[in-house]
Amino acid sequence: MTRDDARPLAVRTLGLGRRFGRHWALAHVDLAVEPGEILLLAGPNGSGKTTLLRLLAGLYRPSAGSLAIFGLDPAKERLACRRALTLVSHDSYLYDRLTAYETLAVWARLLGRPAGEDELVGLLAEVELAERRDLQVKGFSAGMRKRLTLLRTRLERPRLVLLDEPFSALDPGGRRMVEGWIERFRDEGIAVLMASHALERTTRIADRALLLERGQIAWQGAAAELPARMERSR
Amino acid sequence: MRALGQIATLVRKDLLVEWRGRARLFSVLLFGAVTLLLFSFAVGPDSLALRAAAAGFLVLALLLSSTMGLSESFRVEQEQRALEGLLLLPVEPVALFYGKALANTVFLLLLAPILIPVALVLYAVELEAARILGLLGLWALAAAGLSAPGTLYAAMTSRLQSQDVLLPLLLFPLVVPVLMASVKSADLILTGDPMAQMRSWLVLLIGFDVIYWSLCGVLFPYAVQEAQ
Repeated sequence: MTRDDARPLAVRTLGLGRRFGRHWALAHVDLAVEPGEILLLAGPNGSGKTTLLRLLAGLYRPSAGSLAIFGLDPAKERLACRRALTLVSHDSYLYDRLTAYETLAVWARLLGRPAGEDELVGLLAEVELAERRDLQVKGFSAGMRKRLTLLRTRLERPRLVLLDEPFSALDPGGRRMVEGWIERFRDEGIAVLMASHALERTTRIADRALLLERGQIAWQGAAAELPARMERSR
Repeated sequence: MRALGQIATLVRKDLLVEWRGRARLFSVLLFGAVTLLLFSFAVGPDSLALRAAAAGFLVLALLLSSTMGLSESFRVEQEQRALEGLLLLPVEPVALFYGKALANTVFLLLLAPILIPVALVLYAVELEAARILGLLGLWALAAAGLSAPGTLYAAMTSRLQSQDVLLPLLLFPLVVPVLMASVKSADLILTGDPMAQMRSWLVLLIGFDVIYWSLCGVLFPYAVQEAQ
């Protein structure tokens, strides 16, 4: 039995690259992520972390190479890939004039998941927004917006979670909450790829790290070894 | 069936967002009314000339108001990249199109109760109730004919800084058939239809509505894709 028959990789890329005009933002990326694995993407600004996450989310098409999400081709099996993954990016994806509760209700209906009021309020309570459920998002701070956006990872019940700077804008309590979620994802067999500059926190929870420099993989290995590797490269 | 539910959710979401930001609706209404007023000034106090031009001016006011409303409808989607957030969900882009286009049609329908009476008063046109209902029906068909291509082009231009200029430049040539059929039909409602021409103009208008709603639905997914 081949490996794909048994349990497809959460992410598989071969020679993946993305070009903007003549500039290659990402090139020659070979990557394999197991279900339940937590992979940290590290690297300086402009190294290609966000581009890689957006490629995996299907927001960009590869300029070179191939990629598969649980064995699926995002270009050909778009909806199946959408069901399999969630991306939380720098942007909140929120409507200022909807309330926190309405936002979750719209997402739930679009997901085709009939979520009751109790479930949605329960989710809001997890991110300490239950008391503000009927307030419009326009009055929310950056941290509150982030908490609400992060609920997509809970509502969508994905098998792969892509996080771009998941700890930014959050207070210490919010950061601990996200850390707990990521560890729970691992326990549930959900793969996580997170791009972050918060190395002290993320190297503690990630299994493996991948260092990107100028759009290419400069190093990959155990997450705990990443700080020493980055120190050497300075 | 699931797509229909998603479209209904998107329409409800858009109308709720629209209602909470009523300022846009009021500003577009005011713009339409001022346009009608300026057209009447351009013709002067000749009531016969005003009546003769009333149908054209009314449809033009709808067209000009629609471009304001359409470009704003996608600005909301781009503020926090909310549209990208929708595209990341397991929703077919075609459902996003029909949700947005239906919401835009409703938005344009909301202009009718104000702009039609304003036009009737300014252009000294007297109409019985049945003809006013006919005019409302025609307004709905014209609004549908404008909002489908308008939604497509608003999506295409929403990431551009020059959207306000580009949208009418792209939209106006495309909607000439809708404009012509609407003006002719409105004129026949306002001034009478002794030669029974209305049916052919309405068939033309409905035909273009069907073409636009079908074709734009097919093209919309390409319009919202990131640069590939």
